[in-house]
Amino acid sequence: MRTFIAKRLLLLVPILFGVATLTFILMYVVPGDPVRALAGERYDEETLERMRTELGLDRPLAVQYVVFLGRLARFDLGRSFVTRRPVAEAIRERFPRTLVLALSAMCLAIVGGIAIGTVAAWGRRPVVSRILMTFSLVGVSMPVFWLGLLLIYLFAIKLRVLPPSGYGGGSIRNLILPALTLSFASMATIARVTRSGVLDALGEDYVRTARAKGLGERIVLGKHVLRNALIPVITIAGADFGSYLSGSVLTESVFGWPGLGRFVVQAILKRDFPVIQGAVLFMAVLFILVNLAVDLSYGAIDPRIRPEGGKR
Amino acid sequence: MNGKLRTVVLTHLCAIVLAASGCARSGDDATVRLALQTEPTTLDPAYSVDFSSGRMASLIHSNLVAFDPDARVISDLARSWEILDGGRRYVFHLGGARFSTGRSVTASDVVYSVRRLLDPETVSPRWWLLKPLKGAAAFHGGASWDDESARAIDDSTVVMRLEYPVAHFLGLLAMPAAGIVCREEVERLGKGYGRAPCGSGPWSLSAWREGDEILLVPNPGYSGRRTALAGLSFRIIPEQMTQIAEFEVGSLDVLEVPRAELEHWRAAGTPLLWREELRVVDIGFNTTKPPFSDPRVRRALNRAVDVDKIIAHVLFGAGTRSRGVVPPSLRLPPAPAERYPYDPAAAKALLAEAGFPNGFSMEIWQRENPEAGRVLESVQGYLADVGVTAKLVTREWGAFKEAIDRGTPDAFFIDWIADYPDAENFLAPLFSSSNIGGGGNRTGYRNARVDSILDAAATCLDDAKRGGLYRTAEGIVYEDAPWLFLWFPEKYEVVSPRLTGYRIPLIFNGQRFLDVGV
Repeated sequence: MRTFIAKRLLLLVPILFGVATLTFILMYVVPGDPVRALAGERYDEETLERMRTELGLDRPLAVQYVVFLGRLARFDLGRSFVTRRPVAEAIRERFPRTLVLALSAMCLAIVGGIAIGTVAAWGRRPVVSRILMTFSLVGVSMPVFWLGLLLIYLFAIKLRVLPPSGYGGGSIRNLILPALTLSFASMATIARVTRSGVLDALGEDYVRTARAKGLGERIVLGKHVLRNALIPVITIAGADFGSYLSGSVLTESVFGWPGLGRFVVQAILKRDFPVIQGAVLFMAVLFILVNLAVDLSYGAIDPRIRPEGGKR
Repeated sequence: MNGKLRTVVLTHLCAIVLAASGCARSGDDATVRLALQTEPTTLDPAYSVDFSSGRMASLIHSNLVAFDPDARVISDLARSWEILDGGRRYVFHLGGARFSTGRSVTASDVVYSVRRLLDPETVSPRWWLLKPLKGAAAFHGGASWDDESARAIDDSTVVMRLEYPVAHFLGLLAMPAAGIVCREEVERLGKGYGRAPCGSGPWSLSAWREGDEILLVPNPGYSGRRTALAGLSFRIIPEQMTQIAEFEVGSLDVLEVPRAELEHWRAAGTPLLWREELRVVDIGFNTTKPPFSDPRVRRALNRAVDVDKIIAHVLFGAGTRSRGVVPPSLRLPPAPAERYPYDPAAAKALLAEAGFPNGFSMEIWQRENPEAGRVLESVQGYLADVGVTAKLVTREWGAFKEAIDRGTPDAFFIDWIADYPDAENFLAPLFSSSNIGGGGNRTGYRNARVDSILDAAATCLDDAKRGGLYRTAEGIVYEDAPWLFLWFPEKYEVVSPRLTGYRIPLIFNGQRFLDVGV
């Protein structure tokens, strides 16, 4: 197990090098000049050249690349071209907000999705099952933007029980609507996957055996059915969580949530190279770590697929 | 539902209800709550080039003079001033203002701020606004500082000398970039000054929660009228629909009504504030590129599009058809006569005369913006009627600006917003051949007569004569049609009933909330 984790963590180095190089190349291939984006609407070429020199953009590309890698080797993500703040400081400020939103959304999605999926499969009433599955179909299909506005309309404008938007200094009231919006699609997918997993497991011999042994329905569901149906759920939840951690641009925009997603989009629009590069690298590390956690959790749920040394 | 599951669901619901209880925002304190669609990039005057940054920097910093909501020049740091030597020398007498640190503002702070903006080491994209000062261009080019440019006679008197008279010089001094900064704070914070500015304006920065909110409180050292407000809260809300929701629940005091929502608000009978903007919207033709190098083609396209109908149906009437370049509130009467009434037959005839009886294909570039898309689809339809196939190309702002600076597109949909309220600010950057490219003239338009009239008008101090010169230049440009002339937009806002004295400013930094109460 330890070797497995060490190997995966060691893989970070070549992956990050690749991501760093690709991001660097993309910055210069995609049209758009960071200096023009900074200079406003009226400027002279001489000032643009001075700005280029100040930001180090006048050097040959190879030199810029070496400087960039050198900075990275010192764990220095540089300073934003636009705000002149250290990129790491800005990420440190934004990421906890994104993390809170992602964790809340993921909890809602997992708890809600598994509950809905299980009730839909386990319940013996086809009407309930059909209603729940229709709900999950709507959840998968509805654009986040639209859903966010609907929730604002219902809970903020009509019922007046929640604020429409904003961070509110970290208040839970401000978190509810964005978390619910962000969780919706994942919740619906998890519900569908759980339902089919539970239905498959219900037909398995071990479930019949468990029932034949005289085990109660709750134990059969919890210990034998759900545990076996959860592997694909973990995969989906892991992938979604990884993307939530990189910031959910639409949800953050609709709810004015000051997270990483909006920050990165702004940086892309302004061609703020250090911020884009820093944020992409940070997200790559997050993705790798989340995927590692997902792989390890498979083993915890199903001992048959433990990476190494798993006991059966 | 089994017991465990039921417990989990009920716990979640309870948490939501508990958290939600008592969540109505308080609306009774004396802080005015406003929204910003984009976050300022900096509050350092020298680098404030976008709307949000400029507006905020002007609330925090005093200038020698400022704009009132009607864009008239009023005194700010300068209690009074004299214009001498035929407009070549300005003497400003300062009042007793203090920076937010408590230190008095002196004439040497003004000189420091002027010199800082012009200093090549500062690398300010806005240095050009002080270019008329004597020796300023040379200093920016690397020569030594000329004390004649700006000099402190004593603690409360500053003298500025100009290379040549500039009629709109006071307007330049009221721009955000000419804000007076506190030397020791600039030197202490360096590039970090933009996050912790220290000005002597009516407001000082209390908190900047990035991506969320900027809070300003009154600056006790401000030399002008005291505000009765406790503060200004600017929430950063990128989505207009969310801004509307915030206004509807009473969390915002001022809301700019999106044009697409105008009908709804009008139908609801909500009293709307209205103001013409100092802004012009157009489709610029690349006049250096055939077939747009031929004025007949440009005139034909102007006659091919029914702009009035687009204003009525796409803009919901929130604009005035532009017959020229200078917004009506800055223009001396009479307004230019309509030269391009909608007439597709005449447009076709003109195209045939120019050698394009079967039309041609062209690209119109736009920056990402849903309204631009709707407008250009209409334009595309009208052009198709006269045989011109227009392909719409969308780019985000950075790539769009680079392309138009380099003269890549055939035509581009764009607007121009005034930095200062003067016809010069529309005609000189946009049509003087000295400003081709990043200077503002992105159509590549060249007309020696226009150049010489603009040069003469810039140094003319006789208002009536100057107005006449600009009207003549505008008439020539209108005739030459380097643009497909569209409209002067109008702005609509709603304010909460608790707010008093608020007016939409004519120029973006003309509202400092000194007459506003709750």
